[in-house]
Amino acid sequence: MSSKARLELDRVSKSYWRGPHETAVLKDISLSVFAGECVAVWGQRGSGKTTLLKVAAGLESPESGTVRFKDQNLVGMSRAGLVRLLREEIGWARRSGPESNELEMLDYVALPLLKRQNMRRARRRSAAALARVGVAECSKGRWEDLTDSERTLVSVAHAMVRQPSLLVVDDPTANLDVLQREEVMGLLRSTAEEDWLAVLITVPDMPSMVHAHRIGSLSDGRLLVPTGASPERDNVVDFPARGRAAPGG
Amino acid sequence: MSAKNAVLGLVIERPGYGYDLARRLQDRFGSSGFAPTGVYSALDQLSADAMVRSVGQRRNAGNERAAPRTIYQATPKGVDHFEAWMLGSSSLAPVRDELYMKIALSKPDNLARLIELARSQEEDCLARMQSLRQPSDGRGGAPKAWSEVAGLLVRDAEIKQLQARVEWLQKARAIMTRLNLAHARGGPARGDRVA
Repeated sequence: MSSKARLELDRVSKSYWRGPHETAVLKDISLSVFAGECVAVWGQRGSGKTTLLKVAAGLESPESGTVRFKDQNLVGMSRAGLVRLLREEIGWARRSGPESNELEMLDYVALPLLKRQNMRRARRRSAAALARVGVAECSKGRWEDLTDSERTLVSVAHAMVRQPSLLVVDDPTANLDVLQREEVMGLLRSTAEEDWLAVLITVPDMPSMVHAHRIGSLSDGRLLVPTGASPERDNVVDFPARGRAAPGG
Repeated sequence: MSAKNAVLGLVIERPGYGYDLARRLQDRFGSSGFAPTGVYSALDQLSADAMVRSVGQRRNAGNERAAPRTIYQATPKGVDHFEAWMLGSSSLAPVRDELYMKIALSKPDNLARLIELARSQEEDCLARMQSLRQPSDGRGGAPKAWSEVAGLLVRDAEIKQLQARVEWLQKARAIMTRLNLAHARGGPARGDRVA
């Protein structure tokens, strides 16, 4: 019955030093994210949500515990190996946008592909990624002209254009109103399901969690996951064929 | 707040029988604290006040032997009452909670138990949050119709209340844990005298 998690954090701990004081940010955190599901972690400001995401994406190393992504332990992995994973397998949605405001969004989203593909093919895939997240109309736009929800969606397209198997998004619903939030969260959920992607996000407020397949709350360095069976998880496990057929599964 | 106006509103939206209305009440107001059985006493009251009336009975199509269902419809008086209620002001619900009372009346010796209680309430809030999650309906995008947006706003209000509760519980737990450690060591801590 059990299916392997695409991402698995096992007893991860991490702390920061502020002067002579050590503050534990993550204490013994275990969390799995499967292909085809969106997992949302809520926590108050300063609860360590972003640190948790960075550790999950291999951007930061924990002091103890393991972070397994598709059977590879990210902890202790060589820098070259991590860079390759971050370039090809793990999509981290950057909220800051392009360095230059001259760039049209079609080219911005195409940038991650340029090392391997020519501009014409990269642009074609960029257009597909923008259309996939519902902001095809932004392809000729510039970052500073976009609304907050368009920026979030363009960031997601930028992270997804290389077809990663894990998508990580920090606060995708920050600054969004109720309707924009529904759109962005509905999209993240359907992306996980339809593209057979593992999606891990943090959210600043609880209403954003309603579309997630599973939820957790981070406080005092510990992750609280509501008890009780997750029927949707079982449904996902019941369709292994879907995983094999889907790209990147 | 009784379920009376909520049930009246649902009957005005669409006539229905008891069980159907109980289900719709649950769908629309989720964890607002209406017991499903409250629908029947609300219907009795509304009938006695001539705000709804029975408009005949319908047999359960799937089960011929089941008792026929009484269908309720709003009367003009009921519609007037509902419109007056819609225009009237809304009162703020009183904040009355057993845990608040326990904390207010507790002693430092009770801290360990209170910390446990706070933790378990936090879990309850998350479990309730989990139950409010959107079922997978394959529908993406923002809602378009006002009825959908209205439902969303009400659900948001419920979840925001849960969130405020969880935030308070986490902060209370952190302070109680600190004071409990100081209390166990027998040393004074800031706030200990207050506790």
